[in-house]
Amino acid sequence: MSTDDLESDLTRRTENAPQELLTRSFFFLCAVLSIVTTVSIVVLLTTEAAKFFTITAPLMGVEGATASVVDFLTGTDWVINAGEFGVLPLVSATLMITIGSAVIALPLGVATAIYLSEYASARARSMLKPALEVLAGVPTVVYGFFALIYITPALEVVLPSIGTFNMLSASIVVGIMIIPMVASISEDAMSAVPDELRQAGYGMGATKFDVSTGIVVPAALSGIFSSFILALSRAIGETMAVTIAAGAQAKLLNPLNPASYLEGALPMTAAMVNLLTGDITGGGLAYRSLFAIGLTLFVITLVMNIVSDLVAQHYREEY
Amino acid sequence: MTRTTASSVSRRRFLAGLGATGLAGLAGCTQSGPTVGGSDGLSGTVDIAGSSTVFPLATAMAERFEGQYSGVEINLQSTGSGGGFANHFCPGQTDFNNASRPIKEQEQGQCQDNGVTPVELKVATDALTVVVNNDADWVDAVTVEELETIWSAETTPETWADVRDEWPDEPLELYGPTDASGTYDYFIEAILGEEGGHRQDYSATEQDRTIVQGVEGSANAMGYLGFAYYTENSDAVKALGIDDGDGPVKPSLETAQAGEYTPLARPLFTYPARESLAKTQVATFARYWIANATNRDIVADEVGYVPLNSDEQTAQLKTLESAIQAAND
Amino acid sequence: MATGTDTGPGTDTAGGFGQVSRTVGVVFRYLLLAATMFGIVTLAVLLVYVANDAIQPLTADPGWYLTFFVTLVLPTGVAGAVLARRNPAALRLGAGVVAILAVSLLFSGGVAMVFVDIVSPILWLTYLLSLAVGFAGVVAIERFDRRLPFLARFGLSAAVLAVALFVLPGIIWRSPVFPTDGLIVGLTLGGVTAALVGRGAAARRGRRAGLAVGGLVLVAILAGTMAGPAVGVDSVPAAVLLSVAFVPTGAYAAGAAIDRPQDRTGLGFAGVVLGGVVVGAVAVDALGFAGPQSWVNWGFLTNAHSGTAANAGLYPAIGGSILLMATVALLSFPLGVGAAVYLEEYAPRNRFTRFIDVNISNLAGVPSVVYGLLGLGVFVTYLGQPTGTVLIGGATLALLILPIVIISSREAIRGVPDDLRQASYGMGATRWQTVKNVVLPRAFPGILTGTILALGRAIGETAPLIMIGAPNVLFSLPTELSSKVSAMPLQVYAWASLFASEDFYTKAVPAGVVVLLVVLLSMNSIAIVLRNRYEDEG
Repeated sequence: MSTDDLESDLTRRTENAPQELLTRSFFFLCAVLSIVTTVSIVVLLTTEAAKFFTITAPLMGVEGATASVVDFLTGTDWVINAGEFGVLPLVSATLMITIGSAVIALPLGVATAIYLSEYASARARSMLKPALEVLAGVPTVVYGFFALIYITPALEVVLPSIGTFNMLSASIVVGIMIIPMVASISEDAMSAVPDELRQAGYGMGATKFDVSTGIVVPAALSGIFSSFILALSRAIGETMAVTIAAGAQAKLLNPLNPASYLEGALPMTAAMVNLLTGDITGGGLAYRSLFAIGLTLFVITLVMNIVSDLVAQHYREEY
Repeated sequence: MTRTTASSVSRRRFLAGLGATGLAGLAGCTQSGPTVGGSDGLSGTVDIAGSSTVFPLATAMAERFEGQYSGVEINLQSTGSGGGFANHFCPGQTDFNNASRPIKEQEQGQCQDNGVTPVELKVATDALTVVVNNDADWVDAVTVEELETIWSAETTPETWADVRDEWPDEPLELYGPTDASGTYDYFIEAILGEEGGHRQDYSATEQDRTIVQGVEGSANAMGYLGFAYYTENSDAVKALGIDDGDGPVKPSLETAQAGEYTPLARPLFTYPARESLAKTQVATFARYWIANATNRDIVADEVGYVPLNSDEQTAQLKTLESAIQAAND
Repeated sequence: MATGTDTGPGTDTAGGFGQVSRTVGVVFRYLLLAATMFGIVTLAVLLVYVANDAIQPLTADPGWYLTFFVTLVLPTGVAGAVLARRNPAALRLGAGVVAILAVSLLFSGGVAMVFVDIVSPILWLTYLLSLAVGFAGVVAIERFDRRLPFLARFGLSAAVLAVALFVLPGIIWRSPVFPTDGLIVGLTLGGVTAALVGRGAAARRGRRAGLAVGGLVLVAILAGTMAGPAVGVDSVPAAVLLSVAFVPTGAYAAGAAIDRPQDRTGLGFAGVVLGGVVVGAVAVDALGFAGPQSWVNWGFLTNAHSGTAANAGLYPAIGGSILLMATVALLSFPLGVGAAVYLEEYAPRNRFTRFIDVNISNLAGVPSVVYGLLGLGVFVTYLGQPTGTVLIGGATLALLILPIVIISSREAIRGVPDDLRQASYGMGATRWQTVKNVVLPRAFPGILTGTILALGRAIGETAPLIMIGAPNVLFSLPTELSSKVSAMPLQVYAWASLFASEDFYTKAVPAGVVVLLVVLLSMNSIAIVLRNRYEDEG
């Protein structure tokens, strides 16, 4: 951002020339487009979700079946045909994907970042970084197919009780997908740690292990934490991979129980895709639940991003 | 100095370029300008959306139609019956909506509000098949009441023996479609009844081929799925005969076409919009579809549904022709 | 940063610290390496699996393998080993030439598809000529820099461009005579290639050489275009192949040979590889060995969908993806870069700007399904546009990747050192002049890399396209902005979930996945190579 008073002083005279005004307004409009997008998303989701909930439906002029907000947020059954719209099973499934992929991606991502920033030679870095970007470049549909067609049969050999659709393979592929995000952002954060700190450590006789884990990682902590949140919100919002691999039956499972990962369940994003492509009545209550779920998802990712921003601000070390 | 060189070079180039173009023209390397509307034969687009069940059938018909009338562009999308009505058909965006169930009143209303008149055409029959493992030699047919007992939400039997005493005392492993599927809806309507409801503790899946895999993999498994997936995998699983009071009837093309395989013979529909039928390419395609709806090679062998019998075909053609006529008035 | 010097484990520092354990450090290092390799290795294994399913290498004749081993693998290995020892730079040059040929062949396939089935060459020529006239007009207007005020010039330029875009094409279209399709493509694409090659030659050997080389190249391309049908290749694909693949690769090789005469043996290596491929292909044909019954074959790439899996192909989906990418690039590039420029160059640091910041990082995390809903709600329902068209699909995907483009452009712009800006301002330049002449040119490689990576993400997205009503199956390529469009992932998803025949699921899907991955990996590698090159230079 142009904070320089010097720059503002130097350009003040020409600031109001028509050329300058024109270009400035064009760029401003481009930036404002992002706000317009967010506002549109919020308006769209809220108006349609308002048609879904009992409290707000009369405001939208909707009569007919609606669902109560309390039931939606606390209900444990998601059975469309029976009119039960409790979102908790969907949230628990999304939570399972998030936790599962976090278990894979966060340690591996940070380890990768440490290796790339502290241990790897320039040649190794020049080969590994592009390879990681390839990981990030594979489409999510392809990851979903990989999970369904190759990973699940492989897991069946080790864990025979695993279902065809299960949360474990979905978590594995989502985890692999977000490793590059964690790795690259954490690595940037670690690279930004000034060398003096490392040299000070070495100078005091610390080993590379000590320096990496005791000096660099804590110094880069805010960046690492941001990378976590970013990667996790990507995992929460992951659509096609979980639609293909995780299953289609809504079940309330315990995210902290490892055995529940062997079953299939229905995460929020997959529920949305299924609602839109299934045979339910168009425009009916079930259809509108699509937007209610979308709104919930949006709120969750928004909160996570705001928290991440605040924490990063709070813990950021200025060098 | 440089200036003269530059201008002489550019002049040379200009002459050379002129000469080249002249040569090109002389060498006959030209063509006439684009003529307007040069294609004879049908042209235009046909937009089709709707049920994923009917999608393969529509695609097969479209492929063959395109072979004959290559000027027509047919686009097909699988959106689900409800999504198709709400988002594409009733707003007037598509010409056909495929559906694995009849149109609902609410959807009729929405279409009417937008000036779209759906014309119901039956295009095939799906013989919903109940399958068990090949090694399940204790069962060959099942009555409708037993099916209801097994799948109803009110009575959720745990073992085979809970349903019929002669059956083994092994746990029931159930596989079926999800509740967003038309197959699920139809099963409720045909077997369970709206009040009973469908049990929830079964392995639900979007993909019918997973049902085959699941049933194939366990001796105590039972599932129900569309006929197409059964015919593709008829050696992997065993189909049960359904006893609707007149003795067990196994699902097959003959029994379904003759109307003997009840109640699991599900009609599949497509709804052209009457306003769209005024377009020649849409009307031609609709006629083509119904005309080929009795074709075994396409409907049964390639796609896996039960073709119409000739009486049904005549009836559909009549409906279609009167709709086309109304559209052109 | 890798400090290079291993001051860590194992050093037995004197006295006060005692014996430092070596094992922890070593174990840690290898643990880290294993962690880094986990994802990469898993993906590699999965890729091998899918390639196996798609290409079915085990169905090939052993003789086929033997022939190619003798003609290709053995000579390449030997030549490579010799060069690696003697002159690694030459080896890199040779490998680079082969890689450039491969990627440019892929690219030329896409371009050929555009000219054969999407945009008729006559239409292309019409718009090209109109735009040329338009730009000539704008340049002429700019000459009146001193005599007309800015707003007048701007308005006049806009009017000229509008006439050029909307009125002129209609007039040119009515011309009774046009060059043949092949000639049009050869002249336009070949002309660009010839100009670039000529420029390269002029830089090395002087202006006259440059003009001569450029002219020769153009004549060669045109000759090849006319000669194409004699060898069985239509004139339009021949023109594209020559101007996009063969001539650029040859020019690169020639340029390297002139610049680095000591690495000329690298070209020999490239010759060995390419010669081996050609000789091997001829040999297996002559000896009658059957190759693998790969599902990824010419038919797969050029057929439309079919009910029988063996005849099904990806052609309309590939064309659709290309058109979508073009639309997305056109929409997201200016908007994304514009927003980044505003945020980095113009915006004061206040609450509003921070709000935009948070907004953009939040948008980057919104699920793709929600973007699909947005496209459905805004473009289809609210604006009443027809569903599933190129324009709607492109707009929705552009919105999806806009935050990514903005974020990576901001990073690139931030990388431009402040001194350059200060220098520019110090000389009295306005903000816009600084941005245009100093910041953007320097940040351009980074912006380009980021955009290519974002486009790669957009190619693979399925959910938004499903939501806005893009057809799963199309039989012909989209030809204008309002045609329905499909995309590769959509078609592959349809094959996997909607058709009962097992062949679709076990063979066609892996083949589609392989094609999709090849396209994506080439895009990624272009972006990476670009970035490496400019990082080295900058």
